Amino acid sequence: MIARPVYAVLEREVVRMVRQRARLVSAMVRPLIWLFVIGAGLGSFVGTTQGIGYQAFLVPGVIGMTALFGAMLAALTTVYDKESGVMRMMIIAPLPHYWIVVAKMLSAALAAVLQALLLIAILAALGLLGPSTRYGLLAIALPATALACAGIGMITASFSRTLDNFAAIMNFVIFPVFFLSGSLYPVRELPDLLRWIALANPYTYGVDLLKHAALPAGRMGADFAVSTDLAVLAGFTLAALLAASWRFSRESAYEPMIHVLAGKRG
Amino acid sequence: MKPADGVGSLSAISATGLIKRYGETAAVNGLSLEIPAGEFFGLLGPNGSGKTTTIHMLATLIRPSAGEIRIAGLDAGSNPVEVRRSIGLVFQESALDRTLTVAQNLRFAGLLYNLAPRVIEQRAGALLELFGLSDQRNKPVAALSGGMRRALDIVRGVLHEPQILFLDEPTIGLDLPNRRRIWRFIEQLRARTGMTVLLTTHYLEEADGCHRVAFIRKGALVESGAPGELVTRLGRHVIEVESAALDRVIGVLEPELGPPLVEADTAYFRFPDEDLDGLARIQSGLGDSVSAWRVRRPNLNDVFLWVADSGKLTR
Repeated sequence: MIARPVYAVLEREVVRMVRQRARLVSAMVRPLIWLFVIGAGLGSFVGTTQGIGYQAFLVPGVIGMTALFGAMLAALTTVYDKESGVMRMMIIAPLPHYWIVVAKMLSAALAAVLQALLLIAILAALGLLGPSTRYGLLAIALPATALACAGIGMITASFSRTLDNFAAIMNFVIFPVFFLSGSLYPVRELPDLLRWIALANPYTYGVDLLKHAALPAGRMGADFAVSTDLAVLAGFTLAALLAASWRFSRESAYEPMIHVLAGKRG
Repeated sequence: MKPADGVGSLSAISATGLIKRYGETAAVNGLSLEIPAGEFFGLLGPNGSGKTTTIHMLATLIRPSAGEIRIAGLDAGSNPVEVRRSIGLVFQESALDRTLTVAQNLRFAGLLYNLAPRVIEQRAGALLELFGLSDQRNKPVAALSGGMRRALDIVRGVLHEPQILFLDEPTIGLDLPNRRRIWRFIEQLRARTGMTVLLTTHYLEEADGCHRVAFIRKGALVESGAPGELVTRLGRHVIEVESAALDRVIGVLEPELGPPLVEADTAYFRFPDEDLDGLARIQSGLGDSVSAWRVRRPNLNDVFLWVADSGKLTR
C-alpha cells in the first residue's frame, strides 16, 4: 500500500539528481578539493603516522562529507517542496502525513548513498582506496551514515519555514556538523571541549564507521567500536524520524503550514 | 430544497456546525452543508469569507475547531486517509513540480495514490487528450502556459478517479478563453464520470451552470439555492440610479422600493414585480436630479453583492 508512494518520492529524487548535473558535479568536486588541496597541503606538514598519510586519513572523512552534504541538501528540498506545489500533492494524497517524512528522509539518504558511491568509484579509480578497505562494512556504513545525515537534514527542514536562511543553515548546521566531528582529525586527539562536542555529534559515529571500513586500526584509525557506531546511528536516526514526523504532522496536517502551502487567499 | 435532476439522494458531502477558530477570530463560524452525490455545487463569497478554509476542512487538511464532516459516508475526523482517497482537490495555487515534465508529474501523483504505472499511463493519456495537452507530455511544467498548468492541475486532481472533486478558484488568474476552456473540461469530466463537484469562484457568471450555489459570508452560509431561484428571489428587475445628489434620491425612493445597495454615486434598487408600470409614477417624483436611470434583469452578481452587503436576500 505505502510502497508505491514512498517509491514515488525516491524516484523523483533520483530523477532530479540525474538532471541537476551541476549539483552532482559539485558534490564530487568538493571532497576532491579537500583531498587534494587540504589533504596534500596539510599532509606535507603533518607527515605520516603509522604509515597513514593525512590524505589517506581524509578518505573516510570526505566520503562522509559527500553523504552529509548530499543528504542535507536533499532533505532541505523539503522546505523547497513546501514553497512549491509538490508538498500540496503529497499532503492531499491518501497516506498518513508522517509517511511524507519517512519518504523524504529515505530519499535524502538514497541521494547521499548514490553520491557517495560515485565518489567511492572515483577514489578507487584514482587509487585512493587502500588495499585494506573493507567493502562489506562500507556497504553497511554508507547507508547508516546517510540515514543519520538525512535525519539531521529532516529536523533542520522541519524547523525551517523558507530557504531564505539557507546560508544560515550552511553556517550553523552543515559546517559545524562536519568540522565538529572526526572527519578531519582523530576524535581522541581533540582538546576536551571539542572532543565532548564531537562525541555529542551523531555524524561523528558515521565517519567513525567509515574509518573502520577504509582505514587500518591504529592511532589514525577509528575511535569507537563498530557496535557503538551502529547503535548511536540507529538510535539517532529513529529519534530524528520521530522528531521530524511529530513536528511535521503538527504543522502540516493542520495549520499553519497549510495556508502557506495552499496560498490561502479567502 | 430538492436535489437537481440526475442527482442521487445519498450525501457526498455533509458538514454540520463547522467552526474554525484562529485565536480570537472565527474563519468559519457554524457552517452546515449537505451536497448530494453527483451535484455540481458552487460555494461563493468575497475574499476572506472562509471558502478556502471550508474546502481544506472538508479535504481533511485542516482540523475543524468544532463540527462534523462526512465525506462519501466517511467521518473525516477519524478516517482522513480514506477520505483523501475518495476526493480530488485542485488547490488555488498549483500543486505540480515545475522542474518535472508533465508525464513525470502525473506519474508522481498517480504513484502517491498507489496506482499501478500502467494504469497511470492509460489514464494520463486519456485525460491529457481530453484536456488538449497530449503534445505537452514531455515538456517541463515550467514551460507550460498558465492555462495549460491549471488544466494539468485538474488532470492531476482527477487521475485517481475521485468520487468528489473540490476546485478552489479553478479559473483564478486566467484570461477569458482559458477560463472558458477550463469550464468546458470540468463540464466534460462531470458528464463522463458523474462525480460530485464543489467549487469556489468569484467569477459568478461561471457559477450559473451549478445545480446549486451557496453564499458564504463571515464564515457562515447566508443564502443557498439554484442560481435562477436566487436571482428571482432578489427581484424581477434591478434599477440603477445615478445622481450627484444621491442621498436625496434615496430619500425619495427608499420608502417605495426598500433600501438600496450604494456604490459611489450609484444606487441599486430591487424591483419585485414583472410589470414596470408602477415605476413611472415613482420616477416622476425625482425631477431632474437623476443623471442616469437604468432598469435591467438581475443576475448572480447582484445576488453576490447584495448578500455580501447585507447578508441576506429577504428584506
